[in-house]
Amino acid sequence: MASIDASDVHKLVVACDAGMGSSVMLASTLKKQLKGMPVTVEHTPVDRIPSDADLILVHQGLADRARATGPERVVVPFQLFIGDPAVASVVATLKNGGRIDG
Amino acid sequence: MTAYTPVVEGTGFKAAVQRLGGYLAGMVMPNIGAFIAWGIITALFIPTGWLPNAKYAALVSPIIKYLLPVLIGYTGGRLVHGQRGAVIGTVATMGVVVGAEVPMLLGAMIVGPLAAYILKRSDALLAGRVKVGFEMLVDNFSLGILGAGIAVLGVWVIGPVINHATDTLGHGVKYLLEHHLLALSSILIEPAKVLFLNNAINHGVLGPLGVAEAAKHGKSILFMLESNPGPGLGILTAYFFFGPRRLRPTVPAAAIIHFLGGIHEIYFPYVLMKPRLILAAIAGGASGIAVFSATGVGLVATPSPGSIFAYMAETARGNYFGVLLGIAVSAAVSFGVGSMLLGLGRKEAEEPSTEDLAEAQQRSADNKASSKVAAASAAPASAAPAAAS
Repeated sequence: MASIDASDVHKLVVACDAGMGSSVMLASTLKKQLKGMPVTVEHTPVDRIPSDADLILVHQGLADRARATGPERVVVPFQLFIGDPAVASVVATLKNGGRIDG
Repeated sequence: MTAYTPVVEGTGFKAAVQRLGGYLAGMVMPNIGAFIAWGIITALFIPTGWLPNAKYAALVSPIIKYLLPVLIGYTGGRLVHGQRGAVIGTVATMGVVVGAEVPMLLGAMIVGPLAAYILKRSDALLAGRVKVGFEMLVDNFSLGILGAGIAVLGVWVIGPVINHATDTLGHGVKYLLEHHLLALSSILIEPAKVLFLNNAINHGVLGPLGVAEAAKHGKSILFMLESNPGPGLGILTAYFFFGPRRLRPTVPAAAIIHFLGGIHEIYFPYVLMKPRLILAAIAGGASGIAVFSATGVGLVATPSPGSIFAYMAETARGNYFGVLLGIAVSAAVSFGVGSMLLGLGRKEAEEPSTEDLAEAQQRSADNKASSKVAAASAAPASAAPAAAS
């Protein structure tokens, strides 16, 4: 069970199957929400998540593939591309501090 | 794993299929822009196009026969073995392209990565054994010799085999079309789609076959089997009126992103949360295909993303009525069936329909550090879609 402290998150990666559609959309939403925070937000295909990613957001249906890229990585799965409580919780924790469990 | 991360069923197999499919799609999707350029040129300048012009139409054949397969072979090779893989992928692709009668997209998807894999093994074998100063010589000639060999093998064996396979698949599609059975493909396509195999199916399988058909007839129905935005729109609309109340506010933004933006992934969660809605997607998809097939319409290239705008831009000349009708019918059918399956909103109270979502919310309540802020931040999170759309 990997987890990470909010202050250690420097790179957040949103992953989807191709890294061209839904992940771009969610990443641009998160970029706006995390504006001014010392966190880079990137989007990639789920099979090519960069090794320096501290926190990975991925749809539940692709979570196993994201976890397969490294067992120690913090992968937060979500269900909805809009208004998902898991995503909202991550944003809140990043802003206010605390631990994020993957 | 906690309640927060619900176990996905059949994980190993599903993930493996997704990965293979993602791989196939990964060779095609970065190059979709080139396919669209080809589609535009074709739609404009071929004899049945908007501005028939023999001089510009001369672009059509070399692009589809050489450029697009080579691009795919390049991308496939690069996925396996970086820039060297990309280079040998293009050389190998030329082998299957030359002498083939059909556009060799499937061939490129096989030999590009295969050649790169062979080079990767050879590079690993040679690593550390090359004398100082001879690295460049060995690197260039190992790639050159292997590439030449694979290209010759491509012309000789691989090309004809793939040519035959593409032909056989094409005949199979023709048979299904002639017997009005193509609509049945929705039974496979729609469930696979919401399991995130959408790109694999559309770009990995249907697209390459569609391009082969479009090169011959100027258009193909195969581009529309997976990418029709109608069924998703119908399901989202049904959700808006009859879905769980808590989710309804998210639906309009999702519908815009889906139908206009063409990101179909956005409606998959709504189906996954109420799996019986897959029947609505199948019914809508099948009726759409039935209309496309009955009116004999097609697109000139892969509409990617599957947005209504991409559809309108790539509809073959004179096919607008059938295409629009098919999309409208599939949306209406999915909406009708979906509304029924959602019990027209009545059963909602008895059903713990959003278990997973509730679990997720439960988890964020447990997370002491952020419990209060999570609730407070629900507002900015739901405001975000407006920005995204």
